[in-house]
Amino acid sequence: MTGIVALEAALQPAVAGLDAIVPLANLGGLTELADPTTLLDIFLNAISKFGVYVTIAAGLSLIFGLMGVLNFAHGSLTMIGAYLGGALMLTFVSEATSDVVTIAFFFLALALVFAIVTAFGAVIEIGLIRPIYDRPPLFQILLTFGLVLVFEEVVRIVLEIQDIQPNVDWTEAAGTRPDVLGFHEILGVTTRGIYQFEAVVGILVVAATWWFLTRTSYGLHIRAGSEDAEMAQALGIDVRRSFTVVFGVGAGLAALAGVMLMWDPRYGASVGLGVETLLIAFVVVIVGGLGSFKGTVVAAAIVAVVDALASWMLVNDVVTFSGLPELVIFLVLVGVLVVRPQGLFGVEEVGGH
Amino acid sequence: MAISPDSSVPADEGASAATADSDAAAERDATAESDAGGPLGTVRSIVADHVVHIAVIVLFAIYPLAYTQMVALPVIGEELALLIPRTRTMVAVLYFGLFAMSFDFISGYTGYLSFGHSMFYGIGGYLVVLSMNGKVPFLGGIDSLLVLVLVGGSLAIVAALIVGAVSFRLSGVYFAMVTLGFAEVAHVFIRNWDYVSSNPRDGASLGNNPVSVGIPGWGPLPEWNVDIGRIIGSEFPNFLGTGFDLSTSDVSFYAVGVVVLVSYFAMQRIIHSPYGKVMIAIRENEERARAVGYNTFYYKMGAFAMSAFFAAVAGGLLAGFNRSVAPENTFDLFVTADALLAAIIGGFGTLAGALFGVLFQNTLEEFLSTEDGLAQYLRETLSESTLDTFVGDGIDLLLNGRAGLYVGIVFILFVLYVPEGILGTLRSRLGGKVARKLPERIQRYRSGGGGGGS
Repeated sequence: MTGIVALEAALQPAVAGLDAIVPLANLGGLTELADPTTLLDIFLNAISKFGVYVTIAAGLSLIFGLMGVLNFAHGSLTMIGAYLGGALMLTFVSEATSDVVTIAFFFLALALVFAIVTAFGAVIEIGLIRPIYDRPPLFQILLTFGLVLVFEEVVRIVLEIQDIQPNVDWTEAAGTRPDVLGFHEILGVTTRGIYQFEAVVGILVVAATWWFLTRTSYGLHIRAGSEDAEMAQALGIDVRRSFTVVFGVGAGLAALAGVMLMWDPRYGASVGLGVETLLIAFVVVIVGGLGSFKGTVVAAAIVAVVDALASWMLVNDVVTFSGLPELVIFLVLVGVLVVRPQGLFGVEEVGGH
Repeated sequence: MAISPDSSVPADEGASAATADSDAAAERDATAESDAGGPLGTVRSIVADHVVHIAVIVLFAIYPLAYTQMVALPVIGEELALLIPRTRTMVAVLYFGLFAMSFDFISGYTGYLSFGHSMFYGIGGYLVVLSMNGKVPFLGGIDSLLVLVLVGGSLAIVAALIVGAVSFRLSGVYFAMVTLGFAEVAHVFIRNWDYVSSNPRDGASLGNNPVSVGIPGWGPLPEWNVDIGRIIGSEFPNFLGTGFDLSTSDVSFYAVGVVVLVSYFAMQRIIHSPYGKVMIAIRENEERARAVGYNTFYYKMGAFAMSAFFAAVAGGLLAGFNRSVAPENTFDLFVTADALLAAIIGGFGTLAGALFGVLFQNTLEEFLSTEDGLAQYLRETLSESTLDTFVGDGIDLLLNGRAGLYVGIVFILFVLYVPEGILGTLRSRLGGKVARKLPERIQRYRSGGGGGGS
């Protein structure tokens, strides 16, 4: 008996050491997954994340699909959108404004920010990216990368003038979120109204982009251009003008996502929002496949479900490794590219990459 | 009538087709000369081939001493101290320059953008710190940086072979993204792995262990084995009786410099070997390289592994000098991005250019840094009444720690107007490698001026 105790005592440090090196999983907790409330919890989390991810990635997907340019400044535009949206909401609403009016103003802010940043994106395309189309695609990517540095510092300068802390979430802006989007209960699961709101906005963005791509003449040009730019040009389509429109709309969508995230307690308006959203947008677009908006939507759904599952496992101590949700997002990217190098819905050899 | 040196330039450039032939002829001449002159001739031809290399090395070698002299100058000393980087910054230029060169080695020469390169830098850095803290099995008690750097490099090679086996099935943007994916997996992991330290988000640091560069137990003097580090490290007041004081930064500068120099020449040698020619062929036209019969996959894997090795060496030097590593200065995407910026500004696919890009970047960062930067200098120099106006606020807003803004603007201007970078533009102006063409030019000017016309 004492022998066993001694053996246990001897093994204790070894087990503890192993525990420290490899974050061990408590897989027994997985049985809870059969519980319907658990499933609903995960589902609510997943649709909210889907809304966020698809909104973040939609603009990047459009630009990448037509122009083959991975816009590194996409995340920075989201960050700019968050601050612009916050500033607009703070001027529109006060403590006394009712919830319905606040939400109406939110959609007004969304539309305004979208318009402003779309125009801004078009200017960038004409002024900076158009002159280097004849160079290898690397240079356009590099250029947008330079923009990241400039945007971030300019935002910091403006924030310093306005006396806003750049590195932490802008709480005054988040404070304009109406009470109806706060905590409430659905079938025994506590959740926040903002999460369902984001799912709705995400679906609206998907619907609007879908309409833009399939029902407008620009959409037709874009689809033709990403299929075969030379042929489209030969048929008399001004591909260059569609580039400007697409870059503008893509930038506008990025900023629109920012306005939404400004209200989200998981994100919030801060300078760090740019990198945070950029990496997710990359993963979603690449997993979905070049030039396929459908792919982007499906990829956003997959990443959202995987992320929601991982977050649930972390919160419920199935896994103790706190980086898990972030980690699995990138594992999805690596995994999909290993199995299908062109992404889920990508067509090989499109865009000359 | 004397032929002016200028008139020969267009003729030379016009005959660019003949350049290859004349290069070959020059090499034949050099061989002939070395045969005739014996060992002395060989030395002479090596020196002739590397005049620019030697000049750059000499400039770097005298830098710490020159810096001390220059900032001590009576009138302009203070201004010079503001403009030129401290020796401490130069150490960072050296090891980060090595990382940027290793990035250029794979990205600039094969055309495969390694966006996850920071992973290898991080592996090298973390290996040094973890093993010196006794946290790596079998490596406890080794305090020689060179040994640890070699181990880290080997680990990075293994990592590169795993990442490469998956990633080289892809190309273009997809290759960049999948390597970024791997690096982010590593980044998230290291940021949350509590084995590293009690607070893995802030990284890990060394206790009081000295970090020595040199081969343990070898060398005629104890000075052959020096400790590097910003504060804790070897220093030599009145070095070898020459009257020069070598501070800890100076010693680190030379120790790190030697490792970087050896690494640079190793990479440069590979680039100039037949292997390197295949790397360039892959960049120019991979299908054709394959059609000629090269198994490009193995060449890419080899190049990737070698570049990962040198990236890890650079990471080990960073860890040794800073005595700490953190996720945001090793595994972070923006570390790779800094190397990319440096490579583009210096000249993509020029190897040495990346080092000059880093030099430019770090000089600007120090110039605009919060401590002892331009902002503080202006604050001390300008009068109180000027500072009370908008000028004072403007200095704080636009100059204090705003290097990112200006680096970004310069970078955009380079992408738009100087796509070949500093060294690349210099090369196309001279019509060849600076190391080869500059001495030729100088020779021609000299004979043109001295010898008169023929």
